[in-house]
Amino acid sequence: MKIETTLAGSYPKLPTEAGEMNLRVTRNRRDQGKATDRDVEEAVRETTRRILRIQERAGVDIPVDGSAAWDDAQTYVARALGGFAIEGLIRYLDTNTYYRQPAITSRIEWQRPATVEDFRAAQSMSERPVKAFLPGPYSLYRFSRDRHYGGAKEALADLGAALGREATALEEAGARWIHFEEPWIGKAKSDEAPLIRAALEPLLAGRKARTVLHVPFGAPTAVFDTLRDLSWSVIGLDLREAPAGWDLLPRVPEGRAVALGLIEARNTRLEDAADVAREVARARAARPDLEFQLSTTASLEYLPADRAEAKVARLVEAARIASRNGG
Amino acid sequence: MARGLWTTTVGSFPKPPRLEKARSQHARGELSAEALEAMEREETIEVIRRQERIGLDIVVDGELYRGDMTTYFAERMPGFAISNPVRSYGNRYYRKPIAVGPIRRKKPLTVDWWKFAQAQTSRPVKGMLTGPYTMMDWSFNEHYPSREAMAMDLAEAINEEALALQEAGAKFIQIDEPAVSVRPEELPLAVKALARAAQGLKAKTITHICYGDFDVIYPALLDLPVDQIDLEMANSRYDLLERFRVHPFTKEIGYGVLDVHSHRIETKEEIKEGLRRGLEVLRPEQIYVDPDCGLKTRTVDEAFAKLEVMVEAVREIRAEKGIDV
Repeated sequence: MKIETTLAGSYPKLPTEAGEMNLRVTRNRRDQGKATDRDVEEAVRETTRRILRIQERAGVDIPVDGSAAWDDAQTYVARALGGFAIEGLIRYLDTNTYYRQPAITSRIEWQRPATVEDFRAAQSMSERPVKAFLPGPYSLYRFSRDRHYGGAKEALADLGAALGREATALEEAGARWIHFEEPWIGKAKSDEAPLIRAALEPLLAGRKARTVLHVPFGAPTAVFDTLRDLSWSVIGLDLREAPAGWDLLPRVPEGRAVALGLIEARNTRLEDAADVAREVARARAARPDLEFQLSTTASLEYLPADRAEAKVARLVEAARIASRNGG
Repeated sequence: MARGLWTTTVGSFPKPPRLEKARSQHARGELSAEALEAMEREETIEVIRRQERIGLDIVVDGELYRGDMTTYFAERMPGFAISNPVRSYGNRYYRKPIAVGPIRRKKPLTVDWWKFAQAQTSRPVKGMLTGPYTMMDWSFNEHYPSREAMAMDLAEAINEEALALQEAGAKFIQIDEPAVSVRPEELPLAVKALARAAQGLKAKTITHICYGDFDVIYPALLDLPVDQIDLEMANSRYDLLERFRVHPFTKEIGYGVLDVHSHRIETKEEIKEGLRRGLEVLRPEQIYVDPDCGLKTRTVDEAFAKLEVMVEAVREIRAEKGIDV
């Protein structure tokens, strides 16, 4: 059975070859008054095209658009939702990268599509099904300051509903895959399970697109019984930072798929493709009935562009070996 | 009369626009290293003067000559390579260390800058280092078989630098470990590495850590083998104080009263209220008042406006409570 390949999250924006469009330079020039917003938009599109081309050349089955226009993984969507103000820079978990902290200042409501135009543009550049990317409601809430709601449950219900509207808009635009990024679920304790259910249950139910619930940086062991009840299509596990994710494979419900996060997105050391293929074989041996994807552990944007590109090639090479060996 | 509530900062100050521009020019090969360093020295003198004028008791050099707090050290240590740019936020990028061989300290890393800064002022200047755990956690690792092996090599190298700062005359040595709070399961490793980094120091030792999961790491945090732990208090709305009521804070504390993530200048009254609350569970001689974290993400004007309010609030609380410097 073929092991499909995909990336989790965003991708480095900088080019690796001289002469290519450089979004960073264009943004700097815009800030200096030497380029326009339109120039930046064009640079975003060209960067998206390059990110898709890198994946296409390598042979990634389900590419991502790389979130070229995003400043961080939270605020691009939060800015478009009603109810959020965007505040100061704060460190993003233990990554030594930053995000602007969203603050909830009034009721959270979906107002307009945040990501649909970017998705349409990316999909028009690729023959393959581009995976749309959204922050998961539970993590977006945990990354935010709540100055409005009296309790998390009500806030999460509204946030889940708002992101559900965005997901529906993406489906209407043709998205066949939607990725929800949920790093906080990998850190959650068992008493957080009701809140996670409140946020995700209505969001995932009845989706036309295949949904990926991706949990980087930790294993969702403490809340996995709750996750089992939710209607995601694929659970994304970070098996490098959280090898405990291996123990969850026997508990994955029948008929679902697992994205094996085995290409490490937070270290430059290149994996050996044959070693990774052996780990895929281990997963298949544990659950011969499941569909598996091979994935990066998290966003490749934690890496410099040259190393990210090498990791994409290694990802596909490992999947080919695994597919061949798997018959 | 009780003594205490000394004022200081966590370390970094914002780079003035002309210095930012000069650093960019240098990166493009349009400005020599000598010209850049001359400007860095001018601006370092200015940042020290401004700290004196405000009335801070313990000053810093402002780290205007450093980029990222790990890369600065890694660029000067064998065993590290430096990556191509990695994004930190938006359109900001930095080059991240990669451990590619055994990490060593072959030459002083910060001592010359500390000597230069101390020569500008009669007030004590803190020696500022990045801790071994954070250096390890915020670098790529292509060499070491384990996180511990890398952290302990770094600890040895940083210890050599800390001893050199002490030898040069530093009375306060801060070894920052902002990464400690986000992986509670690795706190024992951070304690072990910091103990090695601080081994043999007679200067007052300080570590700054950022806000994290204190339900898990407190009071174990008090095992960090330093005299003073510097904490973000304002950012957590002083909720750490409730934990201190249950498990008393037994070390000196760097007591952060300024939210470095906000453009807003705190009011004197809110800082005074934060100090009054602190004095309910801490003794004055335990407390060093400072911002929550480094000020480098603020503008120059914001940073000094915040500090002015902080120092004024401390003066009034000292008078109110009968606390001497």
